Amino acid sequence: MAVRETNPNFMNGVPELLILRLLAQDEMYGYEIVQAIRSRTEAVIAVGEGVVYPVLHGLERDGALRSRRRTVNGRSRVYYAVTRAGSRRLADLSEAWTNLAAAIQKMLTGGQHGEAIP
Amino acid sequence: MAKPFHELRERLLRAGVAPRHVRRYLTELTDHLADLRAEEERAGRSRAETESAALARLGRMDDLAKAMVDQRQFQSWSVRAPWAIYGLVPLCLLSAAWCVALFILWSGWKLFLPGTDTPFVQLHGLAIFYFGVGRLLYFGAPIVIGWGIGLLAARQRLKVLWPIVGVVLIALIGGAAQVHASRPSVLGGIGHISMDFALGPPGQGISTGLFHALVILSLAVLPWPWLLWRLARARSLSGF
Repeated sequence: MAVRETNPNFMNGVPELLILRLLAQDEMYGYEIVQAIRSRTEAVIAVGEGVVYPVLHGLERDGALRSRRRTVNGRSRVYYAVTRAGSRRLADLSEAWTNLAAAIQKMLTGGQHGEAIP
Repeated sequence: MAKPFHELRERLLRAGVAPRHVRRYLTELTDHLADLRAEEERAGRSRAETESAALARLGRMDDLAKAMVDQRQFQSWSVRAPWAIYGLVPLCLLSAAWCVALFILWSGWKLFLPGTDTPFVQLHGLAIFYFGVGRLLYFGAPIVIGWGIGLLAARQRLKVLWPIVGVVLIALIGGAAQVHASRPSVLGGIGHISMDFALGPPGQGISTGLFHALVILSLAVLPWPWLLWRLARARSLSGF
């Protein structure tokens, strides 16, 4: 089945959240991250795989990630891991997205408006 | 670097992304592309299909470029503040180099020529080497800084306006600078080194200071044709 690319306008902040969530469990390199996102979201979220790197570099520059070069099976790769600041950012983002998803769900099912999203 | 990334590199540099961020991005994209190729090969695709499928999965050139350009934090300082990088920084570097050169002159005068009224006399032995280092620094600094300006601008694919402003400024200051040395008539008085800046009175033709500035300018821009040729070559390779 051909994978359809997700509309980038709906993707603001999503790659960041997914990357932080994945790296909170284990350190990974770019290709691994993309494959993990693809498999865990069952390819619902699919973007050009290369665009993950600017997000990773941005998060690293903000201090949310740290990177180190490791040689595995003769190939040198850059592995990323979450820092303490990254864990805090993940918690904030997760809370914001959970609230947003709940609010949208409420709208779709015809319920009352929830609390304002901070 | 993989061929598909030549165009991306040119686009990112021209958009103002700092060369070190571009290099890192392209290195990781190259590794990623190799992983995608290996995956597609394992899936039993032909060589041509592997290549096109891997490139398609990596993303369109526009998206790859936009993802990086949109991150303003990766913009180079050459683009964010060209007045500082091509005006202020070269001036600071020139000042620092001249401070060291003048210190060498002053200390050499004290060490090797304690009895003379000026350090600008015929030198012998180790003094030739010692003062030579100072001279090299003093006369070489504006030229080397000019080369640095050209190199920096070429790496960033910057338009020539700011580099020209920077190199002309350095050449004018380099041409106008004059070093003076004097010793007070008091016995045992410490020698005094000073600098002033003047292009000199226009004589029959061109003033000495202006002539020096033109010499510095010519030497400072000497590698520029080579840099421009390299840029043209990179551009033709990328097809951008």
